[in-house]
Amino acid sequence: MKVGFIGLGAMGRPMALHLQRAGHELSVWARRPESAAGLPATLCATPAELGRSCEVVFTIITSSADVEAVALGTNGLSEGMAPDSVLVDCSTIAPDAARRIAATLAEKGIHMLDAPVSGGAQGAIDATLAIMAGGDAAVLERVRPLLACLGKRIVHIGPNGAGQVAKACNQMIMVAAIQAAAEAIRLAAASGVDCAKVKQALAGGSAASRVLDVMGERMVKRDFAAGIEARLHHKDFGLVLEAARKSGVPVPLTASVAQQLNALMAQGWGKDDTSSLLRVLEG
Amino acid sequence: MNIAFIGLGIMGRPMALNLLKGGHQVTVWARRAESMQPLLDAGARAAANPVDAAQGNELVISMVADAPDVAEVMRGVAQGAAPGLVAVDMSTIAPAAARQIGVDLAAAGVDFMDAPVSGGEVGAIAGTLSIMAGGSDAAFAKAKPAFECMGKNIVHVGASGAGQVTKAANQIVTGMGVLAVAEAFAFAAKNGVDRNRVREALLGGFAYSKILENHGQRMLDRNFKPGFKSWMHEKDLNIVMQTAHELGLCLPGSAATAQMFNAMVGSGMGEEDSIAVLKLLERLSGQE
Repeated sequence: MKVGFIGLGAMGRPMALHLQRAGHELSVWARRPESAAGLPATLCATPAELGRSCEVVFTIITSSADVEAVALGTNGLSEGMAPDSVLVDCSTIAPDAARRIAATLAEKGIHMLDAPVSGGAQGAIDATLAIMAGGDAAVLERVRPLLACLGKRIVHIGPNGAGQVAKACNQMIMVAAIQAAAEAIRLAAASGVDCAKVKQALAGGSAASRVLDVMGERMVKRDFAAGIEARLHHKDFGLVLEAARKSGVPVPLTASVAQQLNALMAQGWGKDDTSSLLRVLEG
Repeated sequence: MNIAFIGLGIMGRPMALNLLKGGHQVTVWARRAESMQPLLDAGARAAANPVDAAQGNELVISMVADAPDVAEVMRGVAQGAAPGLVAVDMSTIAPAAARQIGVDLAAAGVDFMDAPVSGGEVGAIAGTLSIMAGGSDAAFAKAKPAFECMGKNIVHVGASGAGQVTKAANQIVTGMGVLAVAEAFAFAAKNGVDRNRVREALLGGFAYSKILENHGQRMLDRNFKPGFKSWMHEKDLNIVMQTAHELGLCLPGSAATAQMFNAMVGSGMGEEDSIAVLKLLERLSGQE
């Protein structure tokens, strides 16, 4: 199948490669063409040009505004994509924005799925991402063989926007867990206890979690090089709090963790790993 | 002075009336024609739209709901403006939005000032609002006679956006202040202590505040009529939290308070005064 890919960052690049290795004909567009260097793909001049030559286009870029510009802007995908083609947006953006973009594309007969992912750069490399899809179930079935190249767990959550809601829930739980791990490790260290042993003991009990395994390990080793850059979690928390506000749902813990992320950003650690929340506590 | 006033809601109407009482020639415009009538009865002239409102006036004042409304009104004002017009927005909007509007209007030769107020409907009627102004010295000098008809404590805080920063700071203090008094009352009641007497005792010490005195009394009277609606306080704290997010600023107390107001809006208490946060606390603690 002819597949397009936009967004060749830490997540997007390995995802695009998996699609190509599975035998699909890959086209890419990159804001900075050098980020496409070395990829076995056709480089397109604009998203519209990419859209003209592909049946399915994947995007994984930073913000709602970025996705909106790439999909609907001048020389955007909607100017090139044929009716009945599919845009699969793997970015993490506001549910509202995903619904709005899908509705606009639908006017031209172009399908869209919001399909944000969880699992980080390692999950992208290992093709073990969790994929949360929002949109038409039949459209998801059409692209499921492609998604299966990227991840293990592919769940149809509901209509457009539902995938982004699920991703927001994912971020709330994960980053709060990182904060909890940081506070526990800080308390252990401040009490003169070996935090590596505390982490080892906790891994066998009810507090065991993937976050404690992966982020806890980084904290114990004081290895704060990203994984996933903390600035992206900071951005996601802006989306979560906005969604909570629009729904009138109180999220006291999320709001509190968001303040720790703000402090992390102020320290200039936005491009480091979110395990840097430990360093915020150390003051 | 020839002044145009745009936005005649709960706050705007009495503010415009006070300009008339101060002897100014006032032109008014509001989206809904019927809200202009009380002002026309009092001697104001009606404008057809914001463009028309700006024409022939030295000063334009707006008092509307949110940043997009201010931007829209001011686009019209810029079209109708003669060079050197001073435009003052007294709504509560994000500092970044105010600065942007200031930049946009400067390109059209209009000197823009942000001058949000504190003091509520009571202060607007009595002409005793606190006014926090951000913008040029020249704009402040021009607007000052108008400010003096509407307010008492008038401070030129700094450059464009500084007024909105001050208002956001005001909402941090009042938001947490209301929650603090409500928590103290919930605490006293759950401990079986008469909160009237607690309030009385606290008023004599370092916990004294206007909020404890006035809002606290209304909590004890269980008078939750607005005043200042909780959805508006939620909106204002959202400006605070968004600004904190953009700047990398850690505000744990404001964040917690914003979530309480968020819960009030979500549970249908948005139209009540923000002191109704006491009822939310009582519900959470099984004190109903």
